[in-house]
Amino acid sequence: MMSVNRAAPLDRLMRPLHRWVWADADRRLRKLLTFAEVETDGGRDILRAAEVTPDPLLRRLYLEHAIDELRHGDMFRDRGAALVRARRTMRPVLLDGNPLPGGHGLDDLAIEGEPDHRLLAFLHVAEKSAAGRFAVYRELVGDDQPTQEIFEKILRDEVFHMNYTYTQLTRVSPKAYRRHVWHARAKRLWHRYLRAAAAIAGVFGNTLLRVIYFVALPPFVWLARRAERREPAGFIPIERTRGQRSPRSQY
Amino acid sequence: MKILGISAHYHDSAAALVADGVPVCAVQEERLSRRKNDAGFPLRAIEWCLDFAGIDPGDLDAVVFYERPMLKFDRILTSTLRAFPRSWRAFPQAMKNTLGEKVWVRGIISGQLGIRPQKILFTDHHASHAAAAFLTAPTRRAAILTADGVGEWATLTVGDGERRADGTTHITLRREVRFPHSLGLLYSTFTAWLGFKVNEDEYKVMGLAAYGAPTMLEEVRRLIRPLPGGAFELATEFFEFQTTADRSYSAKFIDVFGPPRHPYEAIDLETAEGRHFADCAASVQRVLEDILVGIAATLRRETGLDDLCFGGGVALNGVANARLLAGAGFERVFVPPAPGDAGCAIGAALYADRIYLGNPDRDVPDHPFWGPVVDAAHLARIAHEDGQHVEAFPDQVLVDRVADDLAAGRIVGWMDGACEFGPRALGHRSLLAAPHDAAIRDRLNRDIKRREEFRPFAPVVPAESADRFFDLPSGAARLGRYMSGVFPVRPEWRGHLAAVTHVDGTARVQVLERQMAPRLHQLLEAYGRRAGVPVLLNTSLNVAGEPIVTQAVEGYLTFRRCGIDVLVAGPTVVTKRAASASLKESREWSASSVAASTVA
Repeated sequence: MMSVNRAAPLDRLMRPLHRWVWADADRRLRKLLTFAEVETDGGRDILRAAEVTPDPLLRRLYLEHAIDELRHGDMFRDRGAALVRARRTMRPVLLDGNPLPGGHGLDDLAIEGEPDHRLLAFLHVAEKSAAGRFAVYRELVGDDQPTQEIFEKILRDEVFHMNYTYTQLTRVSPKAYRRHVWHARAKRLWHRYLRAAAAIAGVFGNTLLRVIYFVALPPFVWLARRAERREPAGFIPIERTRGQRSPRSQY
Repeated sequence: MKILGISAHYHDSAAALVADGVPVCAVQEERLSRRKNDAGFPLRAIEWCLDFAGIDPGDLDAVVFYERPMLKFDRILTSTLRAFPRSWRAFPQAMKNTLGEKVWVRGIISGQLGIRPQKILFTDHHASHAAAAFLTAPTRRAAILTADGVGEWATLTVGDGERRADGTTHITLRREVRFPHSLGLLYSTFTAWLGFKVNEDEYKVMGLAAYGAPTMLEEVRRLIRPLPGGAFELATEFFEFQTTADRSYSAKFIDVFGPPRHPYEAIDLETAEGRHFADCAASVQRVLEDILVGIAATLRRETGLDDLCFGGGVALNGVANARLLAGAGFERVFVPPAPGDAGCAIGAALYADRIYLGNPDRDVPDHPFWGPVVDAAHLARIAHEDGQHVEAFPDQVLVDRVADDLAAGRIVGWMDGACEFGPRALGHRSLLAAPHDAAIRDRLNRDIKRREEFRPFAPVVPAESADRFFDLPSGAARLGRYMSGVFPVRPEWRGHLAAVTHVDGTARVQVLERQMAPRLHQLLEAYGRRAGVPVLLNTSLNVAGEPIVTQAVEGYLTFRRCGIDVLVAGPTVVTKRAASASLKESREWSASSVAASTVA
């Protein structure tokens, strides 16, 4: 039986950063609300897995897992709502901690067309990683008992998720289950790399587009505003010529 | 001639196939991907349509996209330029979003389907809405009104359509209101301010409006100025949707209406704040109705026509539709079952068939059931594998049995034939319950739908009995066909129909003709014999945040994880066992039992 008392080395290394995120009430609130969405989305993905698997036992297990995830989403949402009610305001924060790894990490999950062994391996790795991180969070929210209790309850479910995914993986792929787990780990790493690369590319792209915006667009701004001033208000007659445009025209 | 219509990329994408002038099938992508309001390119929907018809992409004579992507790009770019320099944040996102995929529609369709680009056609967004409303309606001549958030540039159009005796079809849109002046965006701005999801939760604003009084009318009218001919102009200083994708209302809007509701905070109608939100919802609802009635009344005077076909997302507002019927002077108002963007897939295909290709007019079957058919045998198999109680009955026995269940206060998941195209469950993917007791409404909200308490449930009633329970003016039955109108419940029945009567004494009633859904009609009659009232509560078979179920397995898993008592598909009836053992507790999944199951 696997346990979740100990966080992964990376999470232990990032503990000061996690502490910084959870110490601030606004960041904590945002983090909880993000978890609510992530867990709910993950629950729906696993529900989809239950819908598409041909294996009756896996269908029941996925269903139970999905119900857990959806309930976790509700728990985070309810706790977030309680904090919103208590605070009434949320000040904007520079970094809300959401870019940090957290929650489930099931956003990499692809359901359709994936055989059960790959899905089980992926779920097992994701659950194990999330459980380790939630163990850290549970300690960091010691000053907030209701939130700590949520992590406590979720961790109990995670034990079941980690164990059933592993056990079932050994059932559906008794010869190659270890390889599938390693493959799932490698795939998660690759997806993290892709996500980081996309984020960096996004920053470059945004910067370039903003340069274009301020340097190249101003002359066209004048033209666009002149056209706006000439536009009549209210109903505008539709010219008959519009109906004669080529059906192949995208304009 | 086979024509595929596609709508995609903004919300609720869909595909529809028209063969020889008649729709063959249509489905929203969300029903197959299981992601609510899936806006992605509808590849699953397209594949399903082609499979259903048994054809390959090469057999298609044309593929029609529901709008002109470059014209839309022109609007997005121009709006950004006009808002310079306030649009500096929105510009990169808008460009990446549009240039990344949305303007390359011809290439995407050609690449995905492997067809020649010459076969790919485009229609105007509002022409697609107009075609979806007019060409699917059983009328020869009608005035046409379309209204939504925004298409390419147009946000609202008026015109008329005619299906002539010589077989030709004419749709003429005569004038339009252009972005940023938009009734849909006005309503969506309030949707966002009230803490609901834009393009998804507008119906919650309508439901909330019944709890309020239009005390903020003057304030709302400051946001939208009336112009001659019924047109209008938004006071753009109150809005930010034209400058940013992050927020649709401005600081000035907040000055007038107060701070927005936090999406995670429940609306408490007992508090002053909750009542203020309801009053604002009632006020914007009233203004929307007044403007629509003004435009439609002018259109009626100009055209002299008796029928109005109304399309676009705004046509999902059942309260406004009923006001249109009562106040604009039309005898009948036709709203298609999918008036929003999904319905444009059918509209674009029909528009291309009749207008571009000049094919002769054909009557379109007057029903909403264009999607995948439920497989009752599959339901029986998976329920049996799961240890549930499964039975099969001949039709009349099944109907009597389900009527007994409903009369006993059980909640029934009802799957029958092909699923609906559009956002309403109209009797093929429905949750049915007795309509009498408010407690069952609360149970549905709490245990199944998990949604806000202020939202009402709709009733379904046989057409021949509808007038007895509901105050239906002339023409209302047509709106009620697709649950598109909200009408008063007769005062003497409100107490007996408490689960489906909204706080203001109205209901979004579905008026069911026997031919449209014979089994449900039969069930209503059987229930009527038991309860004295042939009315049932009819809501969509899904849980909040999820699309309506399509296949048997989706219905089954919905049944398993919430408080549905009985699930029906074709002849199969599944009754929930009192307590299904949790696998977590039973440890059935663990190694020893796994070994046993592997050996078995």
